[in-house]
Order: sequence, then structure tokens, then C-alpha cells
Amino acid sequence: MAIVSPQQQPQIHRFPQFKYIDGVRWLPPLSAFGRFAVVALFDSDSDSSSIEIHSLTQNPLDMAPQSAWTSPSRISSLKTSQFYQNPLVFASTYTGSLHVLSVEPMDASLDSELSVPEKILHDRPISCVDVMDSGGECLTVAEDGRVNLVSVGESGLNYRRIFDSNGLVSYTAAKWASPTEFATGGCGFSLQWWDQRKPGGAVCQFKGDWASGIVHCMDIHPSRKHTCLAGGSFGTVFAWDLRWQQQPIILSGLEGSKTSNFSPCESEVWEVRYDPYIKSGNIGGMSSSQILPAMICSEDGIITSIEQGKQPVELLAEPCAINGFDIDHQHPSEVICNLEWESVAILSRP
Amino acid sequence: MPAPVSDSSPSGALVLSSSVDREVVYPIRHEVKPPIARLSISWARGNSFRVSIFKQQCGDNSAGSDDGEVGGQVLEVKIRNGDTEISAAEFRRIAYGSVSPFALLQSRKNMVLGLSKMSMGLSQFNPDGWEYIAEYSKDVSSILGNPKSLPSSAIEDPLEILKKVEEPTCLKAAWELMDVFYADKQSHWWLNERLVDWLAEYDSVLLTRQSTIHSKLFNFQKELDDLQVVEDNPSYWDVISSALAVGWQEIVVKMLRLHGSYQLDQLSNRETENGLVEAVAVLISKMPRMRPELDSGRLGECFKTKPDFTKAWEKWRSQITKLDGSAFWVYCAHVQTREGLRNMLQIILGNVESLSGATCNWMELYISQLLYVRPFTMGLESMYNLAERCMQLKKTSNTDRLMRLMIGILGESTEVVLAECSRGFGPWMVTHAMELLTEESDQVEVLLHEELHDLGGISIEELHRLVYAQVLCSHAFTWQIAPIYLTSCAKQGIGFLETLLYNQPVQHNGMLLKNLEICRLYELDGLSSNIMKIAGVYHWKHGRKAFGVFWLRKARDEVRLNKIALQLFDSVGKSISDESFKQWEGLIELLGSESKNTGGLEFLHKYRDFKKSLHQVHHKGKTTGVVQSAVDSLIALMKNPSTPQRFWLPILNDSLKLIDWHEGPLLNVEQTNLLLNKLQELSMARLRPDFVESDLTPLALSSIRLALAKNLGRAFLEG
Repeated sequence: MAIVSPQQQPQIHRFPQFKYIDGVRWLPPLSAFGRFAVVALFDSDSDSSSIEIHSLTQNPLDMAPQSAWTSPSRISSLKTSQFYQNPLVFASTYTGSLHVLSVEPMDASLDSELSVPEKILHDRPISCVDVMDSGGECLTVAEDGRVNLVSVGESGLNYRRIFDSNGLVSYTAAKWASPTEFATGGCGFSLQWWDQRKPGGAVCQFKGDWASGIVHCMDIHPSRKHTCLAGGSFGTVFAWDLRWQQQPIILSGLEGSKTSNFSPCESEVWEVRYDPYIKSGNIGGMSSSQILPAMICSEDGIITSIEQGKQPVELLAEPCAINGFDIDHQHPSEVICNLEWESVAILSRP
Repeated sequence: MPAPVSDSSPSGALVLSSSVDREVVYPIRHEVKPPIARLSISWARGNSFRVSIFKQQCGDNSAGSDDGEVGGQVLEVKIRNGDTEISAAEFRRIAYGSVSPFALLQSRKNMVLGLSKMSMGLSQFNPDGWEYIAEYSKDVSSILGNPKSLPSSAIEDPLEILKKVEEPTCLKAAWELMDVFYADKQSHWWLNERLVDWLAEYDSVLLTRQSTIHSKLFNFQKELDDLQVVEDNPSYWDVISSALAVGWQEIVVKMLRLHGSYQLDQLSNRETENGLVEAVAVLISKMPRMRPELDSGRLGECFKTKPDFTKAWEKWRSQITKLDGSAFWVYCAHVQTREGLRNMLQIILGNVESLSGATCNWMELYISQLLYVRPFTMGLESMYNLAERCMQLKKTSNTDRLMRLMIGILGESTEVVLAECSRGFGPWMVTHAMELLTEESDQVEVLLHEELHDLGGISIEELHRLVYAQVLCSHAFTWQIAPIYLTSCAKQGIGFLETLLYNQPVQHNGMLLKNLEICRLYELDGLSSNIMKIAGVYHWKHGRKAFGVFWLRKARDEVRLNKIALQLFDSVGKSISDESFKQWEGLIELLGSESKNTGGLEFLHKYRDFKKSLHQVHHKGKTTGVVQSAVDSLIALMKNPSTPQRFWLPILNDSLKLIDWHEGPLLNVEQTNLLLNKLQELSMARLRPDFVESDLTPLALSSIRLALAKNLGRAFLEG
């Protein structure tokens, strides 16, 4: 692991919430001033779940709840997007319902809610939702083997089933690549590539045979739509380039440790994201097969940035698991993450 | 004696008091109308139980008498202990925070133990041993909260005698007390002053029937704004002497400066009086203290060696005595001032009656004696005797848990200290405080680590850790940290851990993976594969076939995979034309090409390959390569013992074209014989009761026979 000089160490602020945190995201900017984060919470004392908007203040950095919405069940996946200048919060639950909340720009309150009740999209917990960057198109996938498309329309939510494997294939992660294409991931480190113009199933499939693990998270960079970055069990992070389909590029993990790469973690990688903060030379001049720098968090309690052919750089090491993180698109130096021990941490990179 | 709470609704919680040893009735409010037929009680999640109240089943005669309502009500009743100081959420925060210091200390201890391989204390081997303990104690203490000054105005308020700070907790006070005696050995030479500091910080959390000096000050602060002439008010002198008795000199000096004689218009005619007040204030602020330093803003002169201190102390005392015997007192016209100041001097001179009058409980009296009567460090035995004398002077029926802990410590009885920690502050405290005690002496070491027959062969240390781990296990959020404590229990820890891990739900993969990660960390491979089996069966039952196969395969559970395979084959299309086979692709991909650990499922993979090549023969090529690979897969399938019998006929039927190949025989004699034998076996099996008849026509069977016979003949000729 590369040594980080003290000047490069991020500043870390921890905020105990006294509730379990099921997910955390930055909210797209509401106005010129004020920054907000969306936190999905579970209170075991009252057995209730909620989504809260927290406003952040600087000097000293602090976060305080601004508004809240009570969820019928625990949140399994949380995403935000901006739709016609309005920030939207997409949340799926363990009982299989999907909720779309809009945020009132004036006072950051969660006002209107559209939802698809349980048992319609999925039979069981929704594993993952992914929202198209600038829009209201939302993918939902689950272990029951269904892939659904939910779109925000004038009159409410419209939904359509893209595929149903009847449980013969389970999907645990999904990510849009373009308005028509997307990728999914599942157990056995398998990845599928889908094209809505070619219905009836996945266009192509990657079977990661080397170890039996599960894909937990994926990312696809807008400038590299042919490459799918996936993270999962055993600290595994790999990239699947559609142009060289059966040769994954392993960035971290058990396989990587056999080669020269040092694996930053050994346990589940819960989230992987391309990291816009790291300027890796001239990106335009980079070969398109070069994998862009990314950030991961893991069950071992670390947040690390990884880059192909370089030593990983550890940004945060906690005694408990880090279950997810989000990089602020407006301020890529700022990372918010949810810790297993009922708290949120914010990293500010210099 | 805390009384049971009368109002306990379903949403509320029962308050159980550990000090109650008689029967107590806890009422539960419910809305079921009598008569009640049945009551059932069961454990629910965490620290709660479920009370189900069933209504009497209405008979025929109840038609008009009742509202016809049947059923009952289920109430979830939470149990919590009577300690309202720390909420459940705050307790979890403390539990999370103390994991790292505890784990670090354990690993350091193990390291030292590994180096020495001898059962002697950390300190004898490692000169830094005490530093480890001290560091641990400081880390834990910081989790319990730091008294933060609340934001106050930049300009100092002359009337603000008590600084506004966040209320400290009793738990923190107890920990700090343990720290003073057991962890911070470096500071034992100024133990008295440390106890003075301790009381200054935690006097407010002493729970007694009587008031404390802190509460007296707090009340006086409220009155202060309305007082015109403070020195006329008896409580002004009362509060000053109390503060002085326990060494809160800054407050004393600040309050003395509120004296009316300082006012400019009065200075001239109260000159003597003011001189006396100021003389006392100056003397107090110059008090010699046996300690390394004082925080800024605090008054006194520090001395680090006993001779220096003794010299300064004697000199200072002589100044006090001189002032006491001064002739100026006669000229002090204001009676209250004269009496008040002279009482203060008596306190400083260690007049036991004055000290007793100025303090509210024996703890305060004790601290005041340490400050003014016995300022030199002494052994624990004489400290204990002094405490006993103080208790006789300030008798109370009800003693605070902190005071009981103090007596236990001074009495040098480890059992009492542990019992007080446990009784007063719960399993968290006793588990973590024990670490401070283990280095105390060999005797303590034996007491804590001796395996006791009464406890089922475990030591006291292990017992307390197991109890604490049980508390952690009872909550869905904290069970994950229980393994840290369980694995430090040599005898029964692993057993408890296995039970804990077995009992975790497997429904959600996230939870399951966290569970398996703990198995991996502690190398519980057998357990991990059992958990995977449970998960596999669960997912299979709920229709998530992929995850079912995934987990069972990871658990290498061939038996269940074979059973699953039989069920799966029922739904697999048996004919080549069946398009539904396409959806199986994903599952087959999951199985991978290796036939290891798939049990009967390897058939699926071979069957898929066979169908693929057959498909190619039908649609694409007549090239020998394609045809030959189709024959190879056919033979491989029929040779494989895992191919289910009921597939034989459909497979042979699908391969009719291959068997009866128009360009000549593709199968040699040996291969044809194999297929014929299989056919023969099938007709024999038909006689068995469990035989499943295929849905092919009898005509198909005869055409297969015919084709095979024909091929055999041609193969003979070719051979």
C-alpha cells in the first residue's frame, strides 16, 4: 500500500446517527448555496425506516436533519438523480417496493412521493436500483431474476418487465451504460450486457469462473461505455471490456494478489465508483483500454483508491465495515460514506 | 428504592430494577376485553418479549351479548434496566467505541505473553506494560464523553461562578475513579489531588438524598442575580466555605471578589474589612499543591517533591495561623464577614467540625480531609480508615453507587470492586474495568483467571466477558462485535460464537456475507459451510434457484445438489425442440465447465453441450467435425452415471439422425453396444414400481431400436 503524506491525508468527520444506516447519497444541488445529503436510516427501537435529507454546514463541518420521510420497510438501495432541474431520490425496499421522492428546492423538504407497491416489480427484496444520469428512467433488479424498467412520467410511474429468469439467474447489481444499454451482475462473478433494442435476454454474458463470488456493485464511465467495472466478494474488483469479452482486467482481489498487484482488501467490496477527483495524467490521451482510477469501500472497513498498475492508496481505515459511499459530483474531493456502527463519515480530500 | 413504573404501554418499556429481590407486579396495558382465555409469552427480537393475549372463543350464546369480535392482541414488551442515564442508542455508541481499545490491549497482552510464555503480569516483562493499560484507560474514557464547555459569551461574566458544562455521566465518573487507582500509576504520588480533581468534575453526579456542594452552588447561582448585598446573605458564606472545603479555589476567590467591600463607593469606610477579605483571597490563591501542574485559570502553587511541598505547606499554614490570630478582626464591623472568613480559616487549618459543617456527604468530607488534614500521600489502608471515619461522621442510609465503588477500591477487595462495577454500572463496565485490575497483583491475577468449578470450569474474567457478549448478541446491531469478546474467552467462547452465528438470519445476502466474513476471520470453516447450506436451501425453497445452487456449491454439499438436480430435471425440457431450455443457460453458466462440486448438476452442463452440437448438426453443417463432436457428447452423456434414467430415451430419440446417419455409421461397435445396453436396462427398469414412463410414443422406441440395429450392422461391416 502506498504511503500517503500527511498533507494528502483527507480530513475525516464522523457523525453518529444512533440508527443503522442503510444508504447514503449526495443530493444534486438544489440552489447555489447549501449542500445536502440523503440518508436512509433504520431505527431498531421503533422498527421503523426513514429517508432523511441532511443539510451540511461548513466551519466546522456539521450535518443536521432537514426533513424526513417514513418508509414502509428497510431501504435496500438508494440513488439520486436530477430530473428537469429537480432532484429525485429513488429508494427500493426489502419488501420489494420502489419509491420515488422529489425534493422541494425551497426548503429541502421531501414532498411528493410516487411508488410501486411490493410484489409488482419483484417478489422479494430489490437488490439494486440504478437511475439514468439525467432522467427518470430507473432499472430495478433482484435475486428473483427479474429486470424491470420504471420511468417517471406525467401521470406517475410506468413500469415494464424487461426480463424474467424465474430465479434461474439472480441479479445483484445494475448500471446504465447508455439510454438503451445497461449491464447487470450476479452470483459467480457473472456480468450481463443488455440492449433494449434487442429484447428477449442479455446480449452477451461474462462468466467469471475463477472463484465463486457475488458482484455487489458496478460502475460504467460515460467516456468508456464499453468497459464495465465490477466489485464483489474476496476484495475483487475487475473490469470487463466488451471488446475483449473473456479476459477481465483484475484490479484487486485474490487473483490479483497472485500477480504483482497488492490487494487492498480481502472481504466484500460493497461499492465501486470511478473517481473523478484523481486526475490521472491526460485522460483524453489515455488508451481507451486503460482503466480509469476508481474508489472502493469494503467490509474490512477501508476506502481505497485504486488505479491500474499503481499501488492502492488508503483513504480511510475504520474498525467496522464501510457499507457504501458516494462521491459528490459538484465537489469530487468530498466523499460521504456509511459505517456499520451507526454513523456517517465525510472525507474531505485536500 | 425505585418503584415499578405504573404506566407501561406497549410502546413504553418496563423498568426492571436489579436491586429488587421481592415479587414485583408490572402492569401491561392491553385492549382485549375480558374474559381472556389464554396468555402466551415468548421471546422476541432483542431485549423484548411478546405477550399474546387471546380472547375467549365466543360460543352460540354470545350472539347478543358481545360485539362478536374474536381474536386478541400481541404486545411487544421491551425490557430495560433502570439506568435512565444512558439510552440504548448511547450504550451502543459506547459499545462500538470500546471495541478497538479492548482488541488492541488483548493483542498487546497476547504478544507479551507469547514472548515470555510465562504467567506473569505484563508489567514485569514489559516496562511499557503500564503505559498500555494507561493508554487503554484513556481511550475508553474518551468514548464515555468529554466534558465540553458549552458555548458561552466571549466576555467573562463576573457573576458566573459555575462554568456551564455538559452534564457528565455516572459511568464516566466510575471509569475515571478506576483510572485514578488502577491505570494511572504514574500519578500515584499525587493521588490526593487527583481525587480532588475527580470530585470537582463529578460531584454533580453523586446521587444522594442530601444536596451536594455542586447543587448548592447551582442553586446559589440562580439566586445571585437578585441579591443586592451578598455578604449579608448567610448562604453566600455557606456556599463559599463549602467550595473551599473541597478545593474549588477559583470559585472561592471569584465569589470573595463579589464582596460588597470591593465596591468603590464603599472601599473607604470598609477598608479593614476589605483588607481581610483580600488577604484570605490571596492566601487561598497561593495554596501549595502537591501535584505536577494546574490547568490554566486554576489557583495554587505546585510542588513536585515532598520536601519542597512540606516546607511551603508549613509556611503557608503559619501565614494562615498568623492571619487567624491577627488583631484586625476586632475592627471588622460586619459580623457575617468576620464569622464567614474565620470559618474559612478554620477549614483551611483542618478543623474537622468546620469541614464537616461545610460538606454535604462523606465523600466530600473525605476529599476535604485529604486536602487539608492529610495532604501527604498515604497507603490505601490508612485511606480506608479515614474514609470509614468520614462515613461515621456523615451517616446516610442510602449510599450512592460511586461511593460504594470508592469504598470497594479503598478496601482493596477485588471481589467487591467487581461486584460494585457489575451491580452499579452493568456488564459493559465490569468487562472493561477488569482489564485495569488484572495487572494489579498476582493475587488478583489468580482470582480473575482461576477456573472455578462453580462456574462450570470458567474463570471470573471469562464469565463477565460471556455475560457482556450476551448483552451484545441481544441486539441486531451489536451482535457483530460480540465475537471480539467471545474469542477472548478460552473455554466457552467459541461454542457461544458458533451458536450466535448459527442463529443469524440468512434471508439477505448482505447479512449472510457479513456473517460468513466473521467465520472466515476466526477460521470457522465447518460452521461457514453449514451456514452456506442453510442459505442454499432457503433460497432454493423460495424459488431463487441460482442462489440456492450457488450457496450449496460453495458449501460442497453434493447430497443436496443431487436432490436439487432431480427436481430441476423435472422442469428441464426433454426434447430438442423445447425453446424453454434457453432460459437455463444462465444457471448452466453459473455451474461452470468444471464438474467439481456440482453433484448431479453436471449433467445439465453436458446436456446443454449435447443439445448445442445437435442443434448445429440439424441447422448448419454436415462437416465431419460438427457431427463427430455431437456423437462424442452423446456418448459422454450416456456413459456418465449422473445422467438420469428418464432422460435416456429422449436423448436417444433426439439423436436418431446421428444413429441413422445417411453417409455411413458414426458410432463404432463398442459405442452402439453401449447404447443398446442402455436401452436394455430401460426395459428392465420398466418393471420397477418407481419407473417414470416417458411421454414418447412406443413407435419412437422401436425406431430407436431399429436404427441402433442397423447401425450395428453397418459398423460391423465397416470394422
